[in-house]
Amino acid sequence: MASRCALKAVLIDLSGTLHIEDAAVHGAQEALTRLRKAPVAVKFVTNTTKECKRTLLERLHRLNFDIKEQEIFTSLTAARNLVEQKAVRPLLLLEDSALEDFSGIETSDPNAVVIGLAPDHFNYQMLNKAFRLVLDGAPLIAIHKARYYKRKDGLALGPGPFVTGLEYATDTQASVVGKPEKTFFLEALRDLKCSPEEAVMIGDDARDDVGGAQNTGMRGILVKTGKYRAGDEGKINPQPYLTCESFPQAVDHILQHLVQSA
Amino acid sequence: MAEDKWTGCVKSLKGVILDMCGVLYDSGEGGGVPIDGSVEAVKRLKASDLQLRFCTNETQATREKFVAKLRRMGFDISVNEVFSPAPAAVAILKERGLRPHLLVHDDVIPEFEGVDKTNPNCVVIGDAAENFSYQNLNDAFRLLIGLEKPVLFSLGRGRYYKETDGLKLDVGVFMKALEYACDIEAEVVGKPAPMFFQSVLTDIGIQPHEALMIGDDLVNDVGGAQQCGMKGLQVRTGKYRPSDERHPTVSADGYVKNLAAAVDAILKHRGQ
Repeated sequence: MASRCALKAVLIDLSGTLHIEDAAVHGAQEALTRLRKAPVAVKFVTNTTKECKRTLLERLHRLNFDIKEQEIFTSLTAARNLVEQKAVRPLLLLEDSALEDFSGIETSDPNAVVIGLAPDHFNYQMLNKAFRLVLDGAPLIAIHKARYYKRKDGLALGPGPFVTGLEYATDTQASVVGKPEKTFFLEALRDLKCSPEEAVMIGDDARDDVGGAQNTGMRGILVKTGKYRAGDEGKINPQPYLTCESFPQAVDHILQHLVQSA
Repeated sequence: MAEDKWTGCVKSLKGVILDMCGVLYDSGEGGGVPIDGSVEAVKRLKASDLQLRFCTNETQATREKFVAKLRRMGFDISVNEVFSPAPAAVAILKERGLRPHLLVHDDVIPEFEGVDKTNPNCVVIGDAAENFSYQNLNDAFRLLIGLEKPVLFSLGRGRYYKETDGLKLDVGVFMKALEYACDIEAEVVGKPAPMFFQSVLTDIGIQPHEALMIGDDLVNDVGGAQQCGMKGLQVRTGKYRPSDERHPTVSADGYVKNLAAAVDAILKHRGQ
């Protein structure tokens, strides 16, 4: 085992790990309950650009997961934190459904750009507005840089291409706040008061969940649900600390090998 | 004085190639306005012993309409003196037997009239301006990602240009977006592609070192011309920004106030 640090925190991805669309992964609720009996903090981390925390929470509650709002850390939260830290007034290129997570943030006379996935706002006029702000020195904050995603009617462009275009236009680099960025995982751990070496991440995305967490110094467990495709574990270096069938097996491993029973 | 650096080459020049938007005129509502002294500067170059051609990445109009607009502004220009990406792209498509899906400005579509566009097997992207909607970009993306070997042609790779109401995103930005989405590299038709500059030189019948390119775009006009073996001059009009003069990789052979000042210096050093 790479590290013998006592485990203090478990970070868990949502979509693809606890649930797939509107169905829970088999046995996931019960596994979460077992995990909560162990002396570890639990946090739920996700790359979302369209859904505010409340929407995520409502879905999880419908699926009978015992999760509280303050336990969820999303890429939108990370962006909000960065906006507050920089004390800037952002132009929010986000879907209306995501705006709730920015309530109370001053957005008049913007001097920063926050860009997520916003098909309704990705028109020439709005992109020009964002471009001019960034060219004049406004920081460009990207929720994440996914190339595309799967929609019911087929593949669709993600935020990444638009971020890349604005980076090219202005010759700058965006601050990417979502997974797999190190800062995302560090932010998620901040209020848990534990170091990356004392935490483990469970997710279905080899690169964004497991690779990102391991680059930060955490252990990463890859589950073979959600977007997992055969061979994904070999696509990152170093390979995942552990690969297992699904979330309940990941919890079994943690309880048996990484925490002392209370 | 900065002028001395580039005027050394002037005596051996045989031809001058001018960028258009930002050098001859500033574009915007109602077609745009000529830049001070540029109409006269073109006249003086034409009256000199230098060959003159125009080289533009303009893809918001057919060459005919574009030249007509400039003539209305007072410029003495004819269609066969102007090189633009759309006709060059049409030649490539025909040569390679490709059928394009077009993501371009409505007004340039007539340039592609004779090209088979059924069951497309490549994408051509131009400065589509308002046509750069999420939906249109997504259509182009889906076509590309569905091809066994995606082929994307970009009519230029500019970052932005200046209109009278401010800076606007150019085709290069959306080319980069599609490149990133599909993990491919576009084939650029137009400046700064060496093939494009070479076709102008071939038309004049001169060698690269005998030609001077004048433009407002440091990377695409000046850098592109230099890569081709030509000299490149940047005018401080159009999209010029003072930071261009501290660019990490491209350095113009000279910087001049505007086209009129460049032509003054050229003709003075040739004793005309």
